[in-house]
Amino acid sequence: MAALGARRVLRPGRRWFSETVPAAPSAPASPLYPPVVASITAKSKAAKSRRLQRFNERVHAAATVEEKLRLYGKLQRPKYMVYPQTFALNADLWYRSFTKTVLVPGMPPRTPAAKPPVATAGATSETGRAPEPRAEAPGDAEAPGAAKIPEPSAGAAPYPDIGELRSLACDALLQESFYQNKKRPFLYRDQDHTPGPFLTQLVSTLAASLSGRNPLLAASSLDLNPEVNYYWHHGKEVVVHGHRKGRVDPVRFQIDDNPHLQIRVPKQLPEVVPLESDLGDVPVIDHKPSKLPLFKKQYENKVFIGSKVADPCCYGHTQFHLLPDKLKRERFIKERLEDQIEVVYRSNGIASLFAWTAAQAMYQGFWNEADVTRPFVSQAVVTDGKYFAFFCYQLNTLALTAETIENNPRKNICWATDSKPLYDVVENGNVKGFNDEVLLRLVHFLLNRPKEL
Amino acid sequence: VFPGVRQAQWLTKTKLVEGLPPAVQGIMDNPALGLQELEERAKHMVSHARLWDTAEVAPRRERYCPMLFENLIHICRLMSGKYPSLSKRMLARNCRIAATWERESILLQVRGLSGILMNSKTPIPPVASKEEILDTKEHVLETFYPIAPTIDLQEVNVYKELNDTGFRDGYPYSHPHTLFFLESANVRTDRFRPDQLRAKMLMFAFGNALAKAKALHGNDPKVLEQPVVVQSIGTDGQLFQFMVFQLNTTDLVSNDGVKNLVWIDSDQNLYERAQCVPEVKKRVVTKPAGISGFQPDTFKKFLALYLHGTV
Repeated sequence: MAALGARRVLRPGRRWFSETVPAAPSAPASPLYPPVVASITAKSKAAKSRRLQRFNERVHAAATVEEKLRLYGKLQRPKYMVYPQTFALNADLWYRSFTKTVLVPGMPPRTPAAKPPVATAGATSETGRAPEPRAEAPGDAEAPGAAKIPEPSAGAAPYPDIGELRSLACDALLQESFYQNKKRPFLYRDQDHTPGPFLTQLVSTLAASLSGRNPLLAASSLDLNPEVNYYWHHGKEVVVHGHRKGRVDPVRFQIDDNPHLQIRVPKQLPEVVPLESDLGDVPVIDHKPSKLPLFKKQYENKVFIGSKVADPCCYGHTQFHLLPDKLKRERFIKERLEDQIEVVYRSNGIASLFAWTAAQAMYQGFWNEADVTRPFVSQAVVTDGKYFAFFCYQLNTLALTAETIENNPRKNICWATDSKPLYDVVENGNVKGFNDEVLLRLVHFLLNRPKEL
Repeated sequence: VFPGVRQAQWLTKTKLVEGLPPAVQGIMDNPALGLQELEERAKHMVSHARLWDTAEVAPRRERYCPMLFENLIHICRLMSGKYPSLSKRMLARNCRIAATWERESILLQVRGLSGILMNSKTPIPPVASKEEILDTKEHVLETFYPIAPTIDLQEVNVYKELNDTGFRDGYPYSHPHTLFFLESANVRTDRFRPDQLRAKMLMFAFGNALAKAKALHGNDPKVLEQPVVVQSIGTDGQLFQFMVFQLNTTDLVSNDGVKNLVWIDSDQNLYERAQCVPEVKKRVVTKPAGISGFQPDTFKKFLALYLHGTV
């Protein structure tokens, strides 16, 4: 190079730096050298991010949803097992922080079109249902109330007769608890003896009798004791011990749930609020998840809604959960933990519904790098046989990993009610103290459908 | 030893008729039911039970047999949108039945868990006409001389001759409508063979009908004015056996007189095969994944038996 420069200086009348403007350098068809990027196999942060990027591209490029799910859950590492039905104290706060969920007490307001009125003895019970403390503009609460008188003119079919539905529910209850000759319940298996069969009977007969009014139910699929699984990453931690000690890893969670009953439908339920709404705050917990207590295990990373991807009924409608004997109310009252009773219902609702809606979203091809473009809505009823609590969940975002959560303003929303008894006591073939409000709410849940139908 | 249904016929004093009764055939042929769309749904339900239900590759019989039954019942129940009187039915699982009767000085009884029972508020109207019932007087029951008809039956000392329908008095859904038997053991030797299953169905249907008749008309043996009809469906997940049993008389001691009637439609396949993973031999797909050979007629019979009595 020095010799070249010297030769240039010697030539008269030409200065070395005023080269003639190089004629448009015949732009090389391809760059001469490959792009300079981080290595794939080195033990460096740049290499790690490049590996992550390659993984994301592979998943994006997957041809089918099954292939995407397979790649998503291919790498197995120890992960926290999250149990929806848990006795852990204040579990619902922790679960909300893991799933970025906002809890809104009370049921969401229904638009008049989507909520057909039910013929009751007095119209007051309907207005009594709608307004409940909510973090939304009060205008919303009034609009449904005023415009609700509605439908009598529009609907050709008469309303569901609450008396008839009440008698169906009472019959189911009486058959299971009184009329059928059963042996004594097995030890600690009280729930399988009476409340389990009662719930199955109730839901199947109600769904059948309401199917005439709700065409979505007529095309639905009822699963008994299905399996619902979901696997996700949230947050970062440093590996504590083992050959991978010191590396920064995402915190992995897996929910394996077995609802008692679930209804799946071929069309999605309508969104309750727009995708970007902000209805509250997500609790932030500074402790490690293992303090809840939550334990780690390494096994297959499953994402499953209750049936495989090929099933046409790929959206969820309602789940029904039965609380086991271990979590019954009397036990909490005896241990002087009355406030934890509601926590049990809430944590069950939030965790199960998050797993279900997120798995539904994954079945449609969304994942944490490709966030959902429309909200996924599902409902759930958690009961211990007598007390019923209702939940409605809207999944707005799947992006919960440490990289994707930074610029993500969306939050998932869960509407929850407190648990109320359906009846007081069953005596001598009579149901005493039947609560119509709970039944009405259950009926409204089952009648929920997209606006077009 | 020999086909079980013949033995069961002798024990219950029954005459066998092949095929389903004309009333049920009439429901099947009724075009107003809209059975075409239901076929599509039935196919989906079969696929769900056999292929899609589990996160593993293929579900086992213990899982897919009850699941298939639940799915089919779900489709049938959804018909109550069209026929509101169908909602007067209630399913009862694990119900116990006990019925005792005498047959030529041998005391017989049927006891135990009789599968899944569907009850209804209204009884099924008698399927056979009065002439057919009187015709059965001429029918001679098959005997198996020299083999005693009680061969292979367990001899037990009973201290109480019990007749129990399984429910208390005052139960609103007091008429047994259909019994369902699911052979869902994984191992083939634990399952009943089709013929044994038919015999079991016959015995339990008879037991339910007899207990109901004794509850209605008392314990005296006599010819019933209003015959009691009980249906029965048995399956192992693929083969279906349909049966309609009509109890005409509780006078079972002698071999003469009016006999009971049973219509049996046996060995109906709902589908030929269900492949979870396509079978590939020498790089060529010989059997594609999915349900093949779906027979809509079997589902129509299932639905017709379900709707019988209200339509």
